[in-house]
Amino acid sequence: MLDLHAVSFAYDGADAVRDVTASFAGTQLVAIIGPNGSGKSTLLKLVARVLAPARGEIAWRGRRLREWPAKEYAKEVGYLPQEPDPTFPMRAIDVVVSGRAPFLGRFGWETSADYDEAARALATCDASYLAERYLDEMSGGERKRVFLARVLAARPKLIVLDEPLSSLDIAHVQQFSALLRDVVRTTGATVIYATHDLNWAAAYSDRMLVMQRGALALDATPDEVMRPERIRELFGFDAEAVQTNGRAWLVPRV
Amino acid sequence: MGTLALTRAIALLALLLMVALFLASSAGAADVSWRAAFAGDATARAILFGIRLPRALLAALIGAALAIAGVTFQTLLRNPLADPFILGVSGGAACGAAVSTALGFARVPGLVPLVAFAGACAATAAVFLLARRRAHTDPTRLLLSGLVLNAFFSAVILVSFALSKSSDLTAALRWMMGTLFGATWSDVALLFALLVVAMATLAFVANDLRMLAFGEDDAKSRGVDVERIKLVGFAAGSIVTGAAVAVSGIIGFVGLLVPHLIRMIWRRDFRFLLPLCALGGATLVVLADLVSRIALPSSELPIGAFTAILGVPFFLSLLRRDRA
Repeated sequence: MLDLHAVSFAYDGADAVRDVTASFAGTQLVAIIGPNGSGKSTLLKLVARVLAPARGEIAWRGRRLREWPAKEYAKEVGYLPQEPDPTFPMRAIDVVVSGRAPFLGRFGWETSADYDEAARALATCDASYLAERYLDEMSGGERKRVFLARVLAARPKLIVLDEPLSSLDIAHVQQFSALLRDVVRTTGATVIYATHDLNWAAAYSDRMLVMQRGALALDATPDEVMRPERIRELFGFDAEAVQTNGRAWLVPRV
Repeated sequence: MGTLALTRAIALLALLLMVALFLASSAGAADVSWRAAFAGDATARAILFGIRLPRALLAALIGAALAIAGVTFQTLLRNPLADPFILGVSGGAACGAAVSTALGFARVPGLVPLVAFAGACAATAAVFLLARRRAHTDPTRLLLSGLVLNAFFSAVILVSFALSKSSDLTAALRWMMGTLFGATWSDVALLFALLVVAMATLAFVANDLRMLAFGEDDAKSRGVDVERIKLVGFAAGSIVTGAAVAVSGIIGFVGLLVPHLIRMIWRRDFRFLLPLCALGGATLVVLADLVSRIALPSSELPIGAFTAILGVPFFLSLLRRDRA
């Protein structure tokens, strides 16, 4: 349903995304991996309509992005920026219900139906107990769950998450990765997320896109990506594969 | 869900404002009462309807204008320290007034406020051009630009004063410190009209504007036309600031104090804060003006100095909390 065709973007003449072509459809969890500055965030911003491509086309459900009315597109595609942070203290339920904004009219206020959606989204993220708490009183992992609920409150068909695992400790990385997989299963949405971590991405995602200096270097299943020679070539990471439960984990060669 | 709570909060603050207006129009050097005025006493009528009521209403309108400018700037810039005074908008107006006084315009009625208004608008435009980079307005650059512009305005004001006739200086100085002395019904009408236009404009974009609280990228991804909303918000904020400063001189820190006080009680988004800040700002300035009038028996304290004395410790405590 989402089609990127030869998409490029540059910041002040420096290429950030170069000639990316890819398609996404159906219920799947897609991880975009790549080193810092490889263009992961920029690619997600292009999909979320935060940026517009300099060249190439992005289409959603067969219609080019710039032809979509902004609010209509926002109802179907949810985006979570890297470190969202409201300037002033807010309760979780107010944060989550603000995810319904594209559905409100110009002077509209959230109705009880919107609050029901917000409560449902919080429940999906195992965060119902946080509803009345303020964001600045929560741990990093709890905040991430609240912000994911905010995206889910609009019931989007495509969900784009920019490094949702960064700044989480290892137990929360595991929890959140499992949550993403559950979200894909329960909502039927396509979820695309950027991450640094190869092993976590491989363990939980259905498909991996490897970015390198703005270009799409590889688009394959985790099994195909997680090969030491391939990873050395792509990341310069001198790895060896350890097989556990029929799955390859890459560890440093020492 | 939110509307009932908002209606209740508005009713509460409106009641407070009514009480403040009643106190401000009742208290003063002359011993007159509302009862006498309604009974037809000419002196009481002249003092209450001709002097005290327009002054109290003007104070309310100025407070509302500065507070909505403050809450709008804070939301747009995602910065709790943003305020028309700190951004240099008030300074631009003061600069216009000082220069026009130096040029001898003070003897033409109405001209100094007009130049002050132009100064506020010019300062907003300048601060934005300085802070603008690659079609984005960077909040840090914006605050720094405000700081630099304020320094520049202060220098121009000092030079203007040095060149002014001493007979014009008293009025200019009084204006610099903020004063509501000599408020007229036409000031009230002008400010009221501008305030209504600004409030209506902000209400029109409030549902989009509040989404900026989560950052510009987030707002864009939710279908908000961020650059347009910023332009509309800043225009509305500067127009009311310019008008308020033109009428009353520099009354600082209201735009900073009021939104934070309101947020301490109602931690809600911009749609909620906008009407509450207008009412809260109105009440604060009415009370501040009342105190500045009656604190000393023989003379009037400058209201701008009074709000600064309240506002500076508040600003510093915010700064400390921000760092911690």
